[in-house]
Amino acid sequence: MPIPVIMPKFEMSQETGQIISWYKKDGDLVKKGEAMFSVETDKVTMDVESPGDGVLAGITAKEGETVPVTTVIAYLLGQGESLPTAESASEAQPPENVSTPVEQPKSAAISSGSATPVAQRMAAANALDLTSVTGTGLNQTITKADVEAALAQRGNDEGKVRATPAARRIAREEGVVLDEVPGSGPRGRVQEDDVQKFLSTTSQRSAQVLPPQAAILSSTPDYDIVPLKGMRRTIADRMVSSYQSAPHIMFTMSVDGTSLEGLRKRMNEQAVKRGEEKISMTALLTRAVAWTLLRHSRLNSTLNGDEIRQYKTANIGVAVALNDGLIVPVVRNVEKKGVSQIAAEINDMAKRARESKLTPSDVSGGTFTISNLGPFGIEQFTAILNGGQAGILAVGAVQKEVVVVDDEMVIRPIMRMTLSADHRTVDGAVAAQFMADLRSVLENPDLLLY
Amino acid sequence: MSGREITYLEAIREALRQEMQRDERVFLIGEDIGIYGGAFGVTMGLMQEFGEDRVIDSPISELGIAGAITGAALTGMRPVGEIMFMDFITLASEQLVNQAAKIRFMFGGKATVPLVMRTPMGSGTGAAEQHSQSLENWFVHVPGIKVVAPSTPAEAKGLLIESIRDDNPVLFLEAKLLYKTKGEVPEEPFTIPLGKADIKREGRDLTIITYSVMVKRALEAADQLAQEGIDVEVIDLRTLKPLDKETIIASVKKTGKALILHEAAKTGGFGGELAGVIAESEAFDYLDAPIVRLAGRDMPVPYNRTLEYNTVPQVENIVESARKMARREV
Repeated sequence: MPIPVIMPKFEMSQETGQIISWYKKDGDLVKKGEAMFSVETDKVTMDVESPGDGVLAGITAKEGETVPVTTVIAYLLGQGESLPTAESASEAQPPENVSTPVEQPKSAAISSGSATPVAQRMAAANALDLTSVTGTGLNQTITKADVEAALAQRGNDEGKVRATPAARRIAREEGVVLDEVPGSGPRGRVQEDDVQKFLSTTSQRSAQVLPPQAAILSSTPDYDIVPLKGMRRTIADRMVSSYQSAPHIMFTMSVDGTSLEGLRKRMNEQAVKRGEEKISMTALLTRAVAWTLLRHSRLNSTLNGDEIRQYKTANIGVAVALNDGLIVPVVRNVEKKGVSQIAAEINDMAKRARESKLTPSDVSGGTFTISNLGPFGIEQFTAILNGGQAGILAVGAVQKEVVVVDDEMVIRPIMRMTLSADHRTVDGAVAAQFMADLRSVLENPDLLLY
Repeated sequence: MSGREITYLEAIREALRQEMQRDERVFLIGEDIGIYGGAFGVTMGLMQEFGEDRVIDSPISELGIAGAITGAALTGMRPVGEIMFMDFITLASEQLVNQAAKIRFMFGGKATVPLVMRTPMGSGTGAAEQHSQSLENWFVHVPGIKVVAPSTPAEAKGLLIESIRDDNPVLFLEAKLLYKTKGEVPEEPFTIPLGKADIKREGRDLTIITYSVMVKRALEAADQLAQEGIDVEVIDLRTLKPLDKETIIASVKKTGKALILHEAAKTGGFGGELAGVIAESEAFDYLDAPIVRLAGRDMPVPYNRTLEYNTVPQVENIVESARKMARREV
């Protein structure tokens, strides 16, 4: 029995998922547990693992397509299996899911009888999806030649240039990029004289009287094109939406980190003794922010249409930078947790974030966000509010500075932090009081016991 | 050139006679080569001319013929054996492969085995499975044996004399279908060096690499192709071993396309070796099409004339293959 691959439902309220990218393609051999494709809900991008072993076939949802949850979007075929017929496919798929692509009838019409045994064996040996092959035999039977043509085509699709050795040699000698040369040989193979022709036409072109700079400009572009999709698209959309809808006010404050660093040092001595993970500054900050948030519930809130939701627990998102992007896993009920647990949770989530293994619950339900760019040496910066939350704290590096204490110049570890608040719900004085209290708990961390 | 035309068969006989006249160590041995003059008549009249001591009718034992010439060669004679049909050389292969080919090396060059084993090969005579084979590549594969396969009367003469004078075992392959073909042949003795191919026709578009009877067919095909504007170069290897790689590589570099042609079955045939030589060489970078082998089908040569005809490459097959390559359909 072919194993259906469905658009998973990650959470109760989820109705659709968008395919961000397929890691596997039709005809690929897939093992159970391997990442097959990534899906973006309105909260998170998730890798979806294969439900079983088999050859991936009959993909109906392309990258970028939004599909209702539980829709069958592909199948995994065992040896000798073919895609389900139209009847069984329609059973598996509720009829109201009309948003699925229209290729359904074509792929469903293929049954195992419509390919010759040789064609079937070749297709199986090469992990070729026969549904993607057009039959040219009697009654559209797929023949060996059709499979060969499809396999050759697949070679093309994999981005390899077909070219004879002679064509390659001349391209090499003349510095021609073969991708750009139209091939006149079988299956588009680039022949020697295709390169020669290309050379003569391009040299004619460049021989035209053009100022040298324009000639350079007319050659290949000097930039790479990165499609705005997936996480990048999500970040772009949300940043614009947040920045445009929430009037941001910013409050910057310097904090003397002497006590905090002393506390962190003592805690790390404990951690070393117990063989536990070290306590990061972020973990300590998170705990102190939670303490302050419970005393300033307006900063621990979200604006949802006509209501301000003021939360009774501090679920603090901690921004994690990825290779190309950013994700904000949420530490829940921070006010109830010890710093070592908070540190461990942040480490775990950051690690999973980099492996794309966060679940929607890891990134949802945040009530406040911390972004710490201190490790990069940034002294001070401002952040854009995250997903309807009332506040986000941008934390800079701890640096030794000369400050005045009791009319004396002393050197202290100073960190600057900037609160961005949603001015619709947070007044300036409210934000200022929050920051003042945050400073007092950071400078006197024993208050955390209070 | 003398302008004198004789057949391929007569050219071989003339080479044998002239070498026997020149060198009394040369003698012939084979089945029915004496009184009868040989199954194809190659040795006709030679027993009368040189006597029974130098033209020996052997018992029906290919192993015996091969063993006798190996031993005679070791003692300083220059024997020429004949296997009536190449198919029967299976029986002689022990002496040729395990003895004649090895001795010179095993004795560090102190002993030589200057024998020639002549045998006709190929299909086209309706002689069925056991009288139609082309088994040259078995012997090409054995170090120590030279393999010669001429395609014209003059080359048959020049190469046979050279083979007799060579100090190594030489398998001299005659094409049955060429025995009656005529060509100009110089009357005086002459030699053609082993290991030198001959460009039978020069061309720009495609190189056909072949030998023996297929040279004739390739040239006919080339004539037809010329009318279509396809300019074919035909290389006659003449000796398969040693192989004239230089000529092959230079030609393929020029044309960019190699069509390898032989009558022997394709799988495991000499064409694979030729394709390998080209692919390994500097000619690789000049290839503008896949190397194509046109060869006999992988099956025994059948008795039925129609089937036999379709078992090995014919002129029309060569034309078709070359045309496809020239038109970039492969």
